[in-house]
Amino acid sequence: MIMTNVNTVPGKKIVEHFGIVQGSTVRAKHIGRDFMAGLKNLVGGELKGYTELLQDSREEAMRRMEEQAQQMGANAVVNIRFATSSVAQGAAELFAYGTAVRVE
Amino acid sequence: MDILLQNFDLVIFLLLAILGYTAGSLAEKRHYRSIIKREKELLKMAVITAEGSFPPSKVKESALVTGSVVVSIDYFKRLLAILRNIFGGRVKSYESLVDRARREAILRMKESAKKQGANMIINMRLETATIGRNANKKKTVGSVEAIAYGTAIIMN
Amino acid sequence: MQFTPKQLVDNINVSKSHPLIELLWLLGGLILLSGLIFFILGITADWAVSKTPIKVETWIGQLALNEFPAEENQSLGEQLQSLLDSLPEESPLHQYNFRIFLSNAEDINAIALPGGNIVVFSGLLELMESENELAMVLAHELGHFAHRDHLSGLGRGLGIAVAATLLFGEESAASSLVSKALLTFQAKYSQDQESAADQFGLDLLTRRYGHAGGAIDFFSRLSEDAGNKLPYLLASHPHPKDRIDALEQHIKEKNYRVKATEPLADKILPETD
Repeated sequence: MIMTNVNTVPGKKIVEHFGIVQGSTVRAKHIGRDFMAGLKNLVGGELKGYTELLQDSREEAMRRMEEQAQQMGANAVVNIRFATSSVAQGAAELFAYGTAVRVE
Repeated sequence: MDILLQNFDLVIFLLLAILGYTAGSLAEKRHYRSIIKREKELLKMAVITAEGSFPPSKVKESALVTGSVVVSIDYFKRLLAILRNIFGGRVKSYESLVDRARREAILRMKESAKKQGANMIINMRLETATIGRNANKKKTVGSVEAIAYGTAIIMN
Repeated sequence: MQFTPKQLVDNINVSKSHPLIELLWLLGGLILLSGLIFFILGITADWAVSKTPIKVETWIGQLALNEFPAEENQSLGEQLQSLLDSLPEESPLHQYNFRIFLSNAEDINAIALPGGNIVVFSGLLELMESENELAMVLAHELGHFAHRDHLSGLGRGLGIAVAATLLFGEESAASSLVSKALLTFQAKYSQDQESAADQFGLDLLTRRYGHAGGAIDFFSRLSEDAGNKLPYLLASHPHPKDRIDALEQHIKEKNYRVKATEPLADKILPETD
């Protein structure tokens, strides 16, 4: 599966469009992590637990989007965009969407 | 009877959870049925996130179309999310909330495009906002707002 | 370029698990977690209590006493002194300097405050019908001092509040949920303490009067209008009926005799000024 965030897949020709595909996930870290993040907030710096959370969520959102594209019979997703929202305190919502296409 | 009166707040809490569960899952099922039905009706309307290029002779008109919706979570699912926050992991109870909100927003955008006689929507973008700050904070309204927008193309 | 519309049958973005099953898992985890926290807190609190010198306790007690509008009572003090005199030589209770207060309130209760202060509410006194009954109540409170329950209760309560706030933040929904769960454990623990204090009280009463008469009279009067047992599941005290059963069992085991009770010399009432 080819994933791009431009209009086309460079070097290839889009022969068929299938419409939009989307993948999303809401994830939370256990309270131990929340507590450590609160402590880290005192001195600043990278919140490793939350970086990990964000990364896991992004990967899962991408995987879900890819699966939708596969179900449609596409072999590439172009013009992918990411969006986040804070539906819940301490939880991250990661959302990926793009256009499923077939390229040659 | 005494035990009911002595643990009044517990009883209210349980009643709300049961009410939230039954009413919430009923509403969700009905919403999904309507989403799937309308998605089938509007299947012909092409929506893509890419820009696409059109020769000037083919396009009659183009216009910005939007669709938005605010969906709230039920009491029971909020309880699940609060508990899930303690242990971490996938907050399953919120997945359907954001999914419903986005699909509904896209559908409303498509409907408004169809009214204008458009054939397709290009360069679609999606945004989410949370009006009640956080969907699981006490005393605030837990809701998710989704906005879908794009450019509708009316062909000759 | 051609557009082929596709309708997805399967919704990958929503997990296919039943919410009720998830609820069960999460609730089970919550109970396990609070049990663990409570267990650790309890051990720490008990350890801290056993290390607290009585001087510090007296100081805390003075602070707590300021919260109760109560008068030191002479005739109650005499009752208490006669009980203290019948304590065995080696009892740790002799280290305390006991003071007894009478509070003009309708609660049917007596409280053991840190530092050897006992507060008796006048609502309780009005229900007393014999000297032995009153002695049993006072001996029960002395039992709390002997086991140092008054401090560990305080320590645990404080620990629970601090732990819940630290872990979940002050105003969050999870914090109130967890502290509710922890307090349920606390209620069970406090019921065990009450039963232990009852036993201590019974033993002391028998030492004082030579028989166990009057030990259960008060509780049997209470149990008549105590009603159903269910609300007592979460209360700090066990159901009076259960307390009577436990006391009777104890009387039987130790072969205590039960004789007639002595009436109260004169009703002890709050000194009005």
